[in-house]
Amino acid sequence: MSKKISIGFPIMREEPGEKRVFLPDFTRKLTEIGFEVFIEEGYGNSLNFYFDDYKNDNPLIHPLEREEIFKRDYVLILRSPHDDEFALFGKNSCLISMLHYPTHPLRQKLMENNNILAISLDSIMDDFGIRLVENMKSVAWNGLEVAYGQFEKYIPNLIREDGTTWKVLVLGTGMVGAQAMNAASKLGKNERNYEHIRLGGPGAIVTSIGRNITYHKTQMIELLAQSDIIVDATQRHDPSKPIIPNEWIANLPEPSIIVDLSVDPYTPDSNPQVVKGIEGIPHGNLDQFIFEKDDPNWEKTIPKIIPSTNRRKVISCYSWPGIHPESCMRHYGQQLLPLMRVLSKKNYHTLSPDGLYFERALFRARLDSFLKRKTDQKKI
Amino acid sequence: MGLENSAYSGAVPSISFVSNREAYQQEIVLVLRCPSNDDLRNLRPESCLISMLHYSTQPERVRFLRSLGVYGISLDSIKDDYGRRLIENFHAVAWNGLEAAFGVLQGTYPNPGFFSSSRQAIQITLLGAGALGAHTVKAAVHYGSIPLHERLARDNVPGVIVTAVDYDITNHADIMQGLLSRTDILIDASSRVDTTRAIIPNEWLAYLPDHTVILDLCVDPYQQNNGKNYTKGIEGIPQGNLDQYIFTPDDPIYTNIPGFVRTKHRRDVVSCYSWPGIHPRDCMRIYGQQLHPIMRMLLSRGGLNGIDPNGHFFERATGRALLSNWVE
Repeated sequence: MSKKISIGFPIMREEPGEKRVFLPDFTRKLTEIGFEVFIEEGYGNSLNFYFDDYKNDNPLIHPLEREEIFKRDYVLILRSPHDDEFALFGKNSCLISMLHYPTHPLRQKLMENNNILAISLDSIMDDFGIRLVENMKSVAWNGLEVAYGQFEKYIPNLIREDGTTWKVLVLGTGMVGAQAMNAASKLGKNERNYEHIRLGGPGAIVTSIGRNITYHKTQMIELLAQSDIIVDATQRHDPSKPIIPNEWIANLPEPSIIVDLSVDPYTPDSNPQVVKGIEGIPHGNLDQFIFEKDDPNWEKTIPKIIPSTNRRKVISCYSWPGIHPESCMRHYGQQLLPLMRVLSKKNYHTLSPDGLYFERALFRARLDSFLKRKTDQKKI
Repeated sequence: MGLENSAYSGAVPSISFVSNREAYQQEIVLVLRCPSNDDLRNLRPESCLISMLHYSTQPERVRFLRSLGVYGISLDSIKDDYGRRLIENFHAVAWNGLEAAFGVLQGTYPNPGFFSSSRQAIQITLLGAGALGAHTVKAAVHYGSIPLHERLARDNVPGVIVTAVDYDITNHADIMQGLLSRTDILIDASSRVDTTRAIIPNEWLAYLPDHTVILDLCVDPYQQNNGKNYTKGIEGIPQGNLDQYIFTPDDPIYTNIPGFVRTKHRRDVVSCYSWPGIHPRDCMRIYGQQLHPIMRMLLSRGGLNGIDPNGHFFERATGRALLSNWVE
């Protein structure tokens, strides 16, 4: 009998609100395609799964201590391990995770220094540059669901006394922006939208803009002044400058809400520095993603040099899909399965850019491939 | 497309050149747009036709193919586990359509003119916020043309504001009339459940400024079937094709629109049944690339009968597109 490929599942050590784990159905399917599965003790508890749910009499599923997990052939963890954990990896272990190479140069360097073989989930792309492992729909829909939910607390069925339409301004026209437009036009939740329509509600009008408007102060202030919800779904060329300076926020109507889907961090110490697209708003996570204007945590995530005098209620979460953890992980599991089938036959070194569809996609996501692309771009 | 036989035989030396009729008599027949009924009659029973068959909007075609005893795979129905089409070119639909619409708007836009830095931002009203709508927004804010976008940005000309409305808000006439009255380009990228009802009735077109260009991206047809009238999303606009896709309000094509459709109110219209075909080589390169893994899977399974609808990724996707699985 041929040797099974081992794969380890460490627990994510993030904020307590981060409950996501790969589901038992996914690990079972991995054993059917040639993997031997090792899960960290306690894995799944955050979603009320226990070892027996994973094991289910399957001889190819085992519990293991965390340190040993990092020494399996593959290590699959949704959010990146912490910096001090890279030293734990086995010499031939391959990390599969959301590593965001371009925006995390320090982590990338650390992985290089530790000779980590890495495949970044966010870099697995098809021949047209479309990501194969993504949940942008959840990013947009979860964010808008929460935002409209705030209004719904005091406006039943989102039908205002004066019968006015909801006005949403979406900054950015990429994949997340497009999903945000769709979600915003349906009040962030289909069921809510159906009921709103049934009751004769006036619905939502969504305005989308790109760079050729956002730079224009007069035009922007006019748009901001009539928006109930403003959504940052931008991917800026220059993340060192905000799109909406803090002073412009004063022009938003008082009960308006800012939704941060881009969730760019504040990194004043990096060179160049990174600031949020909307200046002076807090950076949320799964523990806290709703910030009232007078929230005591408002300033905890904002460097002192960033102006934040002008405020509106903010909805921001670093991991939007994690709001609904089980459906999120079912989604990722389904997207990952055909890729894992390839990895059961090939490994980091034998993946080829000339292979079949999923193999090519995996090849593009290797750390080596990313570094080569970067070097090639510099030559140009 | 200007391709000689030698281009094909150069790429594949074993290729055979046959008559049109013989091409239809192979085990698998791949043709992008669905052939005419006359051509379809040349298919052998139990052969497999792969084409854009659009089962849901072409019930007559479905019945006809079944009567011929042929198998079918509809390219537009090959979808992944989340319902995302694997063979599609929405990008080209949106960009080619917007490129044409902005071309017309350059001529109709009033003083100070489309290229003036003192004009207002272009206002686009978009019907539909789905997959096609997503590509449309991106194309719209870039004027459907990167060179034009760069030129206008360089000259500091105000950009584009896209206002998307979901189908249901269009039931609110007062809101829509306000929007229409300040629209420079009105786009239909909707995906209606009930195509017997227009989203924009013809009389609402009167609210549009005279210079407005109407862009038809979803190209639903006008049809009468079983006593029902099926209409375009914007009532009274003509249907174009690759031979003619730009129509002025006095174009003779209006006389061909069925009598049940009201056409009194008109603006310049841009409509094409096959938007990706405007740039045929780019279009076919994309379709070829998207089809490659599907064809590989078909061959490896020994043809259509070997497809397991619960099998691997591309098998499941193709399984969803089988004529035999389509339920009216």
